[in-house]
Amino acid sequence: MKKRLLVLLAVMSLIIGLVGGCTKNDEQTDASSTDNTDGQTQDNQEETEKIVLSLTWWGNQARNDLTQKAIALYMENNPHIEIKPEFTDWSGYWDKLSTMASGGNLPDIIQQDYAYINQYQRSNQLANLSEFIDSGVIDISKIPESVIQSGSIDGNCYGISLGSNAPMMVYDKAIVEEAGVEMPMQPTLDEIYEIGQIIYEKTGVQTYFDGGLNMLQTVARGNESNAFEELEAGVIEATLEHFNNVERFKNAEFSISPELLVEKNPDIVETKPLVDQTTWNDFAFSNQFLSIAQVSGRELGICMYPLTSATEKQTIYLKPSQFFSIAETSEHKKEAAEFLNWFVNSHEANAILMGERGIPINTEIQDAMKANVDDTSAMVFDYIAEVGKIAEPIDAPNPTGAGQVEAELKTSVENIRYGDGTPDNIADNFVQSAKTILEEASK
Amino acid sequence: MENLAKLPKQKKTLRQKLNKEKIAGYIFIAPFIIGFLGFIIVPMLMSFVFSFTRYNILDTPQFIGLENYITMFTGDEVFWKTFKVTLYYVFFSVPLRLIMALFIAMLLVRKSKLSGFYRAVYYLPSIIGSSVAVAILWKRMYASDGVINSLLGLIGIQSDIPWLGREETAIWTLIILAVWQFGSSMLIFLSGLKQIPKTLYESATMDGANKIQQFLQITLPMLTPTIFFNLINQIISGFMAFTQSYIITQGRPRNSTLFYTVYMYQNSFTYSKLGYGCALAWFMVLFVGLITLILFKTQNKWVYYEAER
Repeated sequence: MKKRLLVLLAVMSLIIGLVGGCTKNDEQTDASSTDNTDGQTQDNQEETEKIVLSLTWWGNQARNDLTQKAIALYMENNPHIEIKPEFTDWSGYWDKLSTMASGGNLPDIIQQDYAYINQYQRSNQLANLSEFIDSGVIDISKIPESVIQSGSIDGNCYGISLGSNAPMMVYDKAIVEEAGVEMPMQPTLDEIYEIGQIIYEKTGVQTYFDGGLNMLQTVARGNESNAFEELEAGVIEATLEHFNNVERFKNAEFSISPELLVEKNPDIVETKPLVDQTTWNDFAFSNQFLSIAQVSGRELGICMYPLTSATEKQTIYLKPSQFFSIAETSEHKKEAAEFLNWFVNSHEANAILMGERGIPINTEIQDAMKANVDDTSAMVFDYIAEVGKIAEPIDAPNPTGAGQVEAELKTSVENIRYGDGTPDNIADNFVQSAKTILEEASK
Repeated sequence: MENLAKLPKQKKTLRQKLNKEKIAGYIFIAPFIIGFLGFIIVPMLMSFVFSFTRYNILDTPQFIGLENYITMFTGDEVFWKTFKVTLYYVFFSVPLRLIMALFIAMLLVRKSKLSGFYRAVYYLPSIIGSSVAVAILWKRMYASDGVINSLLGLIGIQSDIPWLGREETAIWTLIILAVWQFGSSMLIFLSGLKQIPKTLYESATMDGANKIQQFLQITLPMLTPTIFFNLINQIISGFMAFTQSYIITQGRPRNSTLFYTVYMYQNSFTYSKLGYGCALAWFMVLFVGLITLILFKTQNKWVYYEAER
């Protein structure tokens, strides 16, 4: 009898534990296999009236802090809305988002990128925002049409740009001054080469040359061509020119060695070789300037992404830095659209965000903000204004498969830098490989 | 007569008792079974099906038959590279780790005042080992201006070698990280060592055997079951290594530290080729299964189980 009772008690406590812990378990393990918190559930848990919106973005600590402050303000002003944020850095973001998409758990508001928005829209993951624009929920009266266009596919808007952005080169002002060099507003590759030489002789600081996708696309643009179109067709021009440039810089004594680049990965803001003055320069997008300056803790200068062709054809462009999109599976699209509207159009939101994601798209806010920002941010405003005067239209969004092509490109550039092959045969291999990848991905 | 009447009754109550315990038993293992089915078996089967499709996660999967597997073997250089890299990693890290584990275990098997403390200290790395924090620390240590080079400087070797940047050495930083985490194997060896009857050593000493002979003729043979157990475990977890490669080197330079699981992850989520990623996964399952099978089949050649006498 005693034993029976004990067993019965144990079984009952187990069942209670199961049922009690079950719902929580399901939500957490349901979400995804990566280590994220419960930021994705959309059920109205707390009070029956509170609407919960989940919001994701990528960024580093600076952006995370600013965005969270802005969110807190919105929640204060709108007590019936609760926003659950989730953020990662760039390199993990898309992996995480695709896991969420596969589980049908995309957050209500998703930070999107020009390179990926097509892919997500094609799979019907994004809500059509044009209806909210037409109904006035999202006010575009002070936003240039081209900005809305940049987030539109087939005439419908799927993403609201959060700011304008342009590729740039940053440099360490102190080192440049010490070497007695004058930085041109937009250097050519030859000029960077010469300056690199002088700086190395005078200060021993090394130079970094961007071997990545940005540079390849710029080279193609300089030749009035398009990098991905060339790769899809198996054309080698831009690639060969780009690899020859990489080779040229690799052979220079002032270039940072590929071994050091493994440790000081330029893809991550905190480990960029510029940060600890191993190099005097780096390449990035203008909306990263704030973060890079903060991490370096020194005065940095901006100049335009270099001209690569002998004809000095202008290649620079303005890019929507990122978008906010709304998931098609969201149950609170209107509330999400209202938040979007506040984010891009309100003075108070932008006063907090300080253009960290790019120069605000609302022209009235642009003017208002410029007067109030700190010097570092003002530099970015000025830079975008300068670029805006001479910018050429941006390339079409990268095709599907671009992610893998970029990874192959990085390996190919590493091969050149480690001296494993000539630019010619590495370019051949790369173009073949890229062509196959892009073909496969478009099926 | 009475006995006959009693028997069926007793049987009934006995069966009743058994049934009750059975039901309780089933309820107790139910959570595990549900979890196992739902989170392991079903996803495994799904991934097997996905391996025959082209699936970019956002769209519906398209069935393409064996194409993923064919591409893997014939059209993907990176696959061969990462397969080789992972084999190299396992081939060196597992034996080195086991040797370290056995060596330290033998030192710790004597009861000294501090043996408990040492055991804990040596076990610690294997608990915190696969964490992201340790990986980041390791990366910093092996940087050209990191701790390792400073230590070498202390003993007079001027060194600013970028250990992570050279293909020959980068993989070894990861192997050393794995060997550093020998603690869990060490504990298992300790218990294995303690089970060897002391009488064997005593009679061997009386017969004039020296320490080395004792080690080779007594310790090793008696330990073979433990070695076998550790070997299988470590090989399997070696093939599953992910964090070290992903955090410390991201597979660079030139994919020389790209572990198979990282490549699988890149394909599935970064390149949105989940179908291909699943095919990669199943190849690894089959390969590791094959190795385990070979080890099991050959164990009677070298593993000595006392019970089989």
